[in-house]
Amino acid sequence: MSGRNSGGGGGLALAVTDLRVSYGQKRAVDGVSLEIEDGEIFGLLGPNGAGKTTTLSAIEGLLRPDSGTVVVHGVDARANPLRAKAMVGVQLQSTGFQAALTILEIVKLYAGLYGLARSRNELLEALEGVGLADEASRRFAQLSGGQQKRLSLLIATIHDPALVLLDEPTAGLDPQARRQLWNRIERIRQSGRSIMLTTHSMEEAQAVCDRVAILDHGKILAVDTPAGLIEKHRDDPRVVGVAHGQVTLDDVFIGLTGQDYRD
Amino acid sequence: MTDAAAGSRTVAAPAVGTALRALLEADLVVQLRNLRAVALSTILPLVLLFGTFAGKRAQILGDPRFKVAACMMLGMATIALLGYSMSMARDRDAGVFQRLRVTPTPPWAIMASRLAIQVLAMLVMAVVVLVAATLFENVALDAGGYVLTLFAVVFSSAMFLSIAQALVGLIRSTDTLNAVSRLAYIPLFALGLLGHTDILGTTLETIARWSPGGVVATMLGGAMSPTTWNGETWTAVLVVLAYAAVFAGAGIRWFRWTAS
Repeated sequence: MSGRNSGGGGGLALAVTDLRVSYGQKRAVDGVSLEIEDGEIFGLLGPNGAGKTTTLSAIEGLLRPDSGTVVVHGVDARANPLRAKAMVGVQLQSTGFQAALTILEIVKLYAGLYGLARSRNELLEALEGVGLADEASRRFAQLSGGQQKRLSLLIATIHDPALVLLDEPTAGLDPQARRQLWNRIERIRQSGRSIMLTTHSMEEAQAVCDRVAILDHGKILAVDTPAGLIEKHRDDPRVVGVAHGQVTLDDVFIGLTGQDYRD
Repeated sequence: MTDAAAGSRTVAAPAVGTALRALLEADLVVQLRNLRAVALSTILPLVLLFGTFAGKRAQILGDPRFKVAACMMLGMATIALLGYSMSMARDRDAGVFQRLRVTPTPPWAIMASRLAIQVLAMLVMAVVVLVAATLFENVALDAGGYVLTLFAVVFSSAMFLSIAQALVGLIRSTDTLNAVSRLAYIPLFALGLLGHTDILGTTLETIARWSPGGVVATMLGGAMSPTTWNGETWTAVLVVLAYAAVFAGAGIRWFRWTAS
């Protein structure tokens, strides 16, 4: 991790311990603990309302947790929020930028917020890297969904963070755009960064993630590699009961979280 | 940037000054691109200026300084209540603030940048009104008067922006905020305008004079003629600051970065 925006915590990109977040009387995250290693892609799976986005929001510093610790590369994110944020890149589930700014101006703004002075050519080169150089003078709202996601991912990684948090990065994308984004996520990992993402897609979890956690009602039900989860729960009656033939990650997910509708 | 060429190599959060400069630049571009708002906040005071100095109305509204002060007040109220509050609400709805908050930028810097650009817009509007008043209506001030007036505009902008901030803090729905801002805009300006006339009765005139608009008119009127600055003007300055503190307190206490 030398040279990267990392605190040099030594092996662990993120350590979350006993995280609890409430909305009024409702406990949205209930004692979540997890660790993400350097260079790892970690997936957070869960039905709607399970607490995935709330967990990410607490890690990102958008929400103040009731209790628990968040440590990014050895830096306590609650005690040193700005320093922790400098090491983290974030793609929110729904991203908004100032409507009047062009794509080039948006990238320049966010580079500046991370203390990076970039020339116009350098900014265009960055946009070229995600296939958006021709859109530099357009507004965010004028981009397609896939282009918006690519821009969001560029901004999330513009400061070369040690840890990248992606909240449903491929939601709403067509198969081509989704596949391209998977490739980009893999390239981010190959450059040494750690990634934590949330997704509803078991296909995505299996294709992209080294390890996944299944979250429901604010609690982590299981953590393992996708193959490990299948192996571990192959004979679980809850999983066998919903499987159609060979047990899949989807069956494990449904078996552990149930078949009822969620919010 | 590209993966290979990416980013800085520091661990510490970037200097606040660097982030603030980036925000100010972006917010200034946004302000300048919003031509309709810029035009509205400058043209309305000029229309009022030429309207109040024309014909019989010139006598009804009394002291020329207060007419010019009322024009500047109209511009400031327009920028704060119809411009700032709505842009804050729209950006809050769009998730702009949430995106900014996940960067290593202190929240106060995000707000300070926005407010600084609004104060700048108010100063530009005030200069335009003062120049127009000097050139076309013969309301000339001495050098000290111009300087003092611009300081008074900065103080007044704090009050108007804090009122707008309080509205954004207390009202989460953009549609409701739009309606309430327009409703608040009229009495805020009208009381300031009428507080220095003999049109209202004694009680109403007293209320109008000490309303937010009224004290701003008193302060601006005093600043435009430093030789007439007196105890009432000082009191008006203190009341302006008190209004600003109260509304800013409400605006900060109840402001939420998200609409939901």
